Amino acid sequence: MRGPRFAVACLLLGGCATSSLVLLPDDEGHQGSVAVLEAGGKPAEAVIAQGNSRTKLGDPSPSSRPLGTNGLKAQEAALLTNLPPPAKSFLLYFDLGTVTPTAASQGVLAALRTEIASRSGPQVEVTGHTDTVGGEADNDRLSQQRAEEVLNWLAGQGFDRSLMSAVGRGERELKQPSMDNVSSAANRRVEVIVR
Amino acid sequence: MLRKTIAVAALAFLAVSPAHAEIARIKSSVGAAGIERGAARLPAKPGLQLNPGDTLVTGKDGRISLSFIDNTRFSVGPNSRVSVSEFQYDRTRQKGSFVTQVDRGSLAVVSGKIAKSGRDAMKVRTPNTLLGVRGTKFIVEVPE
Repeated sequence: MRGPRFAVACLLLGGCATSSLVLLPDDEGHQGSVAVLEAGGKPAEAVIAQGNSRTKLGDPSPSSRPLGTNGLKAQEAALLTNLPPPAKSFLLYFDLGTVTPTAASQGVLAALRTEIASRSGPQVEVTGHTDTVGGEADNDRLSQQRAEEVLNWLAGQGFDRSLMSAVGRGERELKQPSMDNVSSAANRRVEVIVR
Repeated sequence: MLRKTIAVAALAFLAVSPAHAEIARIKSSVGAAGIERGAARLPAKPGLQLNPGDTLVTGKDGRISLSFIDNTRFSVGPNSRVSVSEFQYDRTRQKGSFVTQVDRGSLAVVSGKIAKSGRDAMKVRTPNTLLGVRGTKFIVEVPE
């Protein structure tokens, strides 16, 4: 008896829909999936993998329907529009033993400044690296100095230090794997991630 | 002279010390939009840093967008209540765990490095379901 009455109430209220999931390809067009690990308080092991689909949640083995010609609802499209832009990565290079970006990297600094300025509530993560020339402790110090040099330059351009952090990774994360004491322009770098 | 050295050292420390326990930053907000942190309620202003345990709350005209330090991105719709129940991320190893609870409303997610770091390292809980995120973009809706 409760069932039909409940259903009528739902119709009158225009919904009472249970939780739902819309699964979409990521920005690179790759389709991931979402697993249902629990449904209605019980363990489940279903996988929702159909891209551009809509699935009602709550069932241990839910079935997905394609979004079809109607596509996304207006409020769903608005949610996607309001997503922040993806993180963007910049690379700056250094001559052996120095902490000032190479002449060729000066243009990257300008692009970096423009990118940070264009973002709302930006966050900037600066990571310094070295090649394998010199001792590990020296390279930890040098990579930290490279990162701080970039951070200080950005601070000089007017960006608040609370937006930014700098760490040095020494020779632990080589871009171009090498033996010890090998000079490598590709490894002498600072990566800046802007979110 | 010594005092000057200490001051310079302190400045250098400030320059390199990362923000405390920061896990995400508010990128934008419109309408009624706030963060519940324990008993405190903060306006969801762009640039506000999130801590683990924070709850994002919007009213009927409210929206919030935010980016996490593992590159996960959120867009919270109107009439929503979304908690970041757990967030741990090792920036060096690019591994972690992430649990989000959607009590009501709507949330769009583009998953980041945590979801890639291990099977079901990122989970989303709704009132009737626990989801394991395996690297993708999706929307969860929980009507009241």
